[in-house]
Amino acid sequence: MEKPTVGIYGLTGCAGDQLVILNCEDELLDIAGALDIKFFPMAMTGNDEECPLDIVFVEGSVVQPKEVEMLKKLRERAKLLIAIGTCAVWGGVQAMKNEIPRDEMKRKVYGPEGKVFDVISAQPLSNFVKVDLAISGCPIEKEQLLHAVASLLHGDLPRLPTYAVCTECKMAEYPCLLLEKGQLCMGPLTVAGCKARCPSYGQPCRGCRGPVEEANAASEAKLLKEKGFTWLDIQNRLRTFAASADSLKIESIKEGTNA
Amino acid sequence: MHNSIIINHICRVEGHGGITVNIKDGKVAEVNMDIFEGPRFFEPLVVGRAYDEVAPILMRICAICSAAHTAASLMAVENAFGITVSSQTRLLRELLVHGGNIESHALHLFCLVIPDFMNYPSAIALASDHPAEVKMGLELKKLGNTIQETIGGRAIHSVNAVIGGFGKLPTKEQLLELKEQLKKGLKQSLVTVDLVSGLQVPDFCTSPNIYAALSSDGAGYSLFGDKIALSTGDTWDINMYKELCEEKVVAHSHAKHSRFNDKPFAVGALARIALNEEKLSGEAKKAKKRLGLSSHLDNMLYNNAAQAVELVYSIERSTEIIDELLTAGIKQEKPMEVKTQAGTGTGAVEAPRGTLYHNYSFDEKGRLTEADVITPTAQNLANIEKDLRVSVENLIDQPKESLAPKLEMVVRAYDPCISCAVHLVEVNFE
Repeated sequence: MEKPTVGIYGLTGCAGDQLVILNCEDELLDIAGALDIKFFPMAMTGNDEECPLDIVFVEGSVVQPKEVEMLKKLRERAKLLIAIGTCAVWGGVQAMKNEIPRDEMKRKVYGPEGKVFDVISAQPLSNFVKVDLAISGCPIEKEQLLHAVASLLHGDLPRLPTYAVCTECKMAEYPCLLLEKGQLCMGPLTVAGCKARCPSYGQPCRGCRGPVEEANAASEAKLLKEKGFTWLDIQNRLRTFAASADSLKIESIKEGTNA
Repeated sequence: MHNSIIINHICRVEGHGGITVNIKDGKVAEVNMDIFEGPRFFEPLVVGRAYDEVAPILMRICAICSAAHTAASLMAVENAFGITVSSQTRLLRELLVHGGNIESHALHLFCLVIPDFMNYPSAIALASDHPAEVKMGLELKKLGNTIQETIGGRAIHSVNAVIGGFGKLPTKEQLLELKEQLKKGLKQSLVTVDLVSGLQVPDFCTSPNIYAALSSDGAGYSLFGDKIALSTGDTWDINMYKELCEEKVVAHSHAKHSRFNDKPFAVGALARIALNEEKLSGEAKKAKKRLGLSSHLDNMLYNNAAQAVELVYSIERSTEIIDELLTAGIKQEKPMEVKTQAGTGTGAVEAPRGTLYHNYSFDEKGRLTEADVITPTAQNLANIEKDLRVSVENLIDQPKESLAPKLEMVVRAYDPCISCAVHLVEVNFE
C-alpha cells in the first residue's frame, strides 16, 4: 500500500494540537514512517504547497479573510479534512466574545493605529468548508489522535465518544463536583475522551472539549442557578470554549435560568 | 511612551511570521520582522471574568509556553489578592516551569536548530542519518512533558495548578520515578552539550545586545524573581515592567514591539546567562564554560548553546526540587482560600524564550477589570530586526538564495515559540 500523503497546518490558535502530534515522542518516528508528510510548516522546511493530499489535519480557528482562502485551498487539495482541536471544531476561546465587533476589539488591543489588518470573528472550520472528522479537545488527547491515525491507515474514520465527560467521571467513580461539592462543572455538557481529566485532579470540567451531542445546557443552567451561581458566571463558564455551538447559545442557556 | 490602551501580545510566531528586507542602491533600507498570526484579543476576552477563570483562558495564549503562562497568571492573581502560597506550592510550581523549559529547549534544539545547522529540512529527515541523536532529543523532550503531566496534570495547558496551590499533589513514588528519569536525562543533556559544542556558529549577526532577565535574591540561578535586571545595570521591581517594555504598534505586525529607552533589548536563555552566569553551578556551570558562552554574548546565534546549558540546569534543578520535597515530605495541603479584594497584581516568569509578564486588575468581587500580557517574543521583535539588519549588512554581497536561510537562522535562534521553517524570508532587491 502506498503511504497516504498528509498535510498538517495551523490557522489561528496556540499550536497546541500540532504540538500534541510532536509530543507523541515514542511514536513520532513510526508515524513519520507510515505517512508521507508533505506539508507541515511548523516542523519542517521544503513543504509542498500545491500537491494533492490524502489527509490534511487543520488546527486553529479562522480569524482573518486570508485564512478563509488558505482553508479553502487545503480543502481542495485534500481527500479528507480533519479538524483537530476545539478552535478548529468550535472556534475555541477566541470565539467567546464574537458578539463584540472586531473593530472595537482591535481598538481596545492595538489602539487607533491597529487598522492594519483585516479580522473577522473567530469561527470554526465547518463554517467555511466540509469537515470530514472533528477531533476536539484543548488540546486534543494524544490517544485519540493515535487512534485516528491508526484508523485512517486502515482506510476508516475512527469512532469517537458520543457521551459526556460526566459518564467517564462516573465510571471512574470520582466524587461528583457538581452535585456533591456544588462546583460549576461542565461535565454533563462536554464530550468525553479525556477520561474526566480535570475531575481526576479534583477540578471541575471547564468544557474545553466542546459540547456533547444534544447537550442540555438549559437544564444545567437551571441546576447551577439553584446552587447559587449568578447568571453571569454560568454564562461565562458555559461559553468559554465553544460559544458558537447551538446548544450553548445564550438563548439556549437562558431558558433554564428563567425557568 | 505608553498610552492607556491595553496592548495584546501574541506569544507565538511560528506559523505566520515573516521577514521583509528592502534593499535600495546596495544598502539596507528597511528590515521588518512581520507577524501575520491572527490576533485573538485575549486581554478584552478575560475582562469581566471571575478570577479563577483567568489562568485557564490565558494559558491558551501559547501551547509551548503554557506552563510559564500558567505560573505567571496564577502569581498575578495571587499578588492582586495578597495571597502568599506555601513553600511546597512554590517548589511544585517551579518544577512545572522547569518541565516546560526542558520540553521547549529540547524541541527547539533537536527539531529546529540541530537539523538547521546540519542542513536537514526536519528532525525526521535528520533521524534517517542520525537516529540515535534524534531519539535522545525526543526522550529529553518527553522528560519535560512527563514532569508537566505529573505536576500539572497535562503536558499542555495544565489542569492541576490552581490559585493558591494544586488540585492533587504528586505522590512520593511519582517523585522518585521522576528522579530516576531525570538521572538519565542529565546524561543525555550532557551529550546534547557535546553535540552543540560541535556546531559551527557563524558570526554574521554579531552586534552588542542589551539583555533583560528576572533576578532573584536567592543564591542560585532561577527562572523566577521579583526584580528585572538589565545588562545596562538598571533594575526594577517586576511591578514596573512597563518601564522596560515601552510598546508601540507597528504596521507590519500583529504583535507589539518593545523597546527600552528607544533601544531594542533581548530576553531568553542567552540573556539569562549573560545576567546570572555567576549563579550557575554543577554540570550547568561546566557546560557554560565548555560552550564558551561568556565570550559570545554579542552573537544571538549562541542562544542555542545557552539553551543547551539551561537544559542541563533545568534537569539539575528539577532533581534538587524533588530532593527538597522528599526531604520535607509531601504535605496534603489544599489550595489556599481566596478572599477577593479590589487590586492589581503582576506575575513574572522566565519562559523558555524569555521574560513573561501578566498583570491584572480586579474589582472587589474578584472580576477582572483589566489585563496586560507581555510575551518574550514581543519583547524580542525589535532586537530580531536589529540583528537581521546587521546580518544583511554583513552579507549584502551574497546571493538571495544563501542570504535568506541565514536570516531564518537568526530568527530561529530567538526561538519565537516554534519557528516556522518555511517562507520566512522575503528579500526585495530593488
